[in-house]
Amino acid sequence: MKIFFGLLIIIFLAFSGYHLTFRRFRLPLFARLFYLTGTEFLFLGLLLGPQFLNILDRETNKGLEPLSALLLGWIGMLFGFQFEIAKLRRFPFEFLGAAFMEGLITFGWILFGIYGVLSAFSNMPEHIKIVLSVTLAAVGASTGQTGLALLSPNTVARSPGVIKLLTYISSIDGLIALPIFGMVFLFCPQFFKTFSWVGQLKWGLSASLGLVLLYILFLTRHRKEKELILVVIGMAVLTSGTASVLHFSPLLINFFVGFCLVNLSSEKERIFDILISVEKPAYLLLLVFLGVNWRLDSPWILLMGAGYCLCRLLGKFFGGFAITRLNPEMNHYPPQLGFGLLDMGGLSLAILLDFQQGFPGHITGNAVSVVLTAVICNNFINFCFLDRLLKKGE
Amino acid sequence: MSYLLGLFLLIAFALWIKSIDIGSSWQGAGLVNFSLGFVLLAAYMSAQILRIAKIPMISAYIFAGIVAGPYVSGFLTFSMVGQLRLIDDLALSFIALMAGGELHLRSLRKRGFAIGLNIFMITLAVFGLVFAFVVFMGGQFSLMKYLSSTQIMALGILLGVVAVARSPSSAIAIISECRASGPFTETVLGVTIVMDVLIIIFFTLALTVTRIILTDSGIVNQQAFIILFVELATSLLIGAVIGKGISFYIDRAGYDLPLFLLLTGFGITKASLWLGHFMEDRFDIYLHLEPLLICMSAGFTVQNFSKKGSEFMENLDRGALPVYVLFFSLAGASLNLEALRVCWPLALSLVGVRAVGIFIGTWLAGTITKDPPINNRTAWMAYLTQAGVAIGLAQLAQRQLPEIGTYLSTVVLAVISVNQIVGPITFKAALHKVGEAEKR
Repeated sequence: MKIFFGLLIIIFLAFSGYHLTFRRFRLPLFARLFYLTGTEFLFLGLLLGPQFLNILDRETNKGLEPLSALLLGWIGMLFGFQFEIAKLRRFPFEFLGAAFMEGLITFGWILFGIYGVLSAFSNMPEHIKIVLSVTLAAVGASTGQTGLALLSPNTVARSPGVIKLLTYISSIDGLIALPIFGMVFLFCPQFFKTFSWVGQLKWGLSASLGLVLLYILFLTRHRKEKELILVVIGMAVLTSGTASVLHFSPLLINFFVGFCLVNLSSEKERIFDILISVEKPAYLLLLVFLGVNWRLDSPWILLMGAGYCLCRLLGKFFGGFAITRLNPEMNHYPPQLGFGLLDMGGLSLAILLDFQQGFPGHITGNAVSVVLTAVICNNFINFCFLDRLLKKGE
Repeated sequence: MSYLLGLFLLIAFALWIKSIDIGSSWQGAGLVNFSLGFVLLAAYMSAQILRIAKIPMISAYIFAGIVAGPYVSGFLTFSMVGQLRLIDDLALSFIALMAGGELHLRSLRKRGFAIGLNIFMITLAVFGLVFAFVVFMGGQFSLMKYLSSTQIMALGILLGVVAVARSPSSAIAIISECRASGPFTETVLGVTIVMDVLIIIFFTLALTVTRIILTDSGIVNQQAFIILFVELATSLLIGAVIGKGISFYIDRAGYDLPLFLLLTGFGITKASLWLGHFMEDRFDIYLHLEPLLICMSAGFTVQNFSKKGSEFMENLDRGALPVYVLFFSLAGASLNLEALRVCWPLALSLVGVRAVGIFIGTWLAGTITKDPPINNRTAWMAYLTQAGVAIGLAQLAQRQLPEIGTYLSTVVLAVISVNQIVGPITFKAALHKVGEAEKR
């Protein structure tokens, strides 16, 4: 019974909240920061979780695992749709290079920072240190667009060039982080004992071949909208399920599917419309699912959250500095460009949920709590830094 | 050809995935997810293939579910079917909203007499024939050989009432697939939906009578009937309020309506169940609000008492296909083929007797209302399908009358298995025969 109710409440609140937060209301600044970024849904998850109301208890959460896998698949596919080669080509090549470089520098900075801290202060096994460092680096390297989307038209009109670059980078800079994160599933405890590169490659290739053939068969002919909805839902569920069974990341596999569809399918626009129609509710649901396992029982988590936030901020700053100063053609952009890329969006959270599902355990719970604390910090500082950047960039 | 190839490939892929060892709960959840996707796509492709033979799509979904289910291929295990119950409930409430929305007050007024007469005649003929058959012929079947004459009579009453039950979800799906419209369609829909409400009352009455027959000491419990009427009236009222709420949402917000409606329907189903448990646990009051009735009433209110009826139906229709595919393929997977194997001679006889009863009832009603002869000859074909309500009633009887409940539930499950397969095919054929298919 709790499963049904848990599901019902979270879907309903996420859905209605989406309309409250993204469509109509004009609230005071602080409340806007809180609401417009969906932060309240993290707290809602916390409230529904085992620490307070316990509506979404351990058993209920387990029952909802298929839904969260579907959610990951949906977001992964949507992220893949960002990479339509024909559209990417319309932007200057330096933009693409800048996005990759920024993503790589931030990823590397956080990876080595976290790994260094873990090596110095923790005695956890080596493979767990690697998994944790890669995951937190991948979460940190990806950027969201909520802050940019909420800028007033006047601000956008004042710095169109900077905003165009920031929007571009934030939409694709997860490309470096996501595939590297996908590799950490090879370190999963069950697989670690019997892991073989050849075996895993064989499984992966066979599954990919099967899925590709199915997609080709389904999408070669023009279908009515109802049928296309059915096919997209069916294939997203099937692909997510396949990925979970084979112990791959549903997020990564569906990203590849989205990438292939947007570049190869003649139905790409219709499929995109279907996917995008539930993008925001899916994002808010992600927040709720993560909020459920958010633990605030130790002050260390708050401290580490602040530390992670700072580490990420520095990584973004260095990334932004490098792309504007190493490439002469980007010199006219402000050196603190990275301050405009602090937002943590849907992809970051999806990576976190993927990690939580694939590597359940106490350490994972703590890591998720640290990142969620950092998400809150980020949501509040993001606007200040973005504002400062755009004022200086004028 | 591409569908056949796709289905073959999908099955091969599924068999391969099924052969993988499941080590963690995450992989287990992944397998359920995979199975859900598989059933969705396989049922859709089967429907496209069988369409060549003019078989209705819901029969193909059911057929795909049977093949994938625990009794045939075992791809969907019993526990998976149980885990996917959530989806099932979601789909059913969605279909109930649609059923309410399909009822137009104007046409109900116009066809009110025909609907009432059909209900009366079908109930009388089906109940009478099935009861008589069980009482006089029941002892000839191995399943009922060891029952006493009193027990056979009690079983006859309950089987007679359950035989009257219909399946609104199947009716809506077939009408929607055939894009049927006209007086015949309106009458069938009206009869099916009103019967869905009345059957609960009939069944409560039959249960009371059966208890009296079996125990020799029972008395007619008036309180049970008062509670029943309160429950039905409350359900209709709550549905009307929710319907007004839905029209308000469409009017003021209107965004992402299919998802909103899906969640509303689901919320109604689950809240009704929760309220029932809550009242029983806390106050020792047995209050059972009927979620399907609430959803139907909500749909009916939006359609007939607001200006947003067409927008409401358009949005329901947009998300209808995945809902139908899932609902009917899971219904197929849940069909109890073991029960059919155990008592197929009795089940087939009852299917035949029920069909004869429906024919007599509809023919008499049609003749009195002066419907065209083709409609009178064909109408029985539209009323064969049975599903969830009948199963629910049999399970209720099994709990309340354990001495004959197992027999009842086995026979009902077997009869439903046949009717659920045959019914949609005959209904589609009937709509084509009377010339009301493809009229929307």
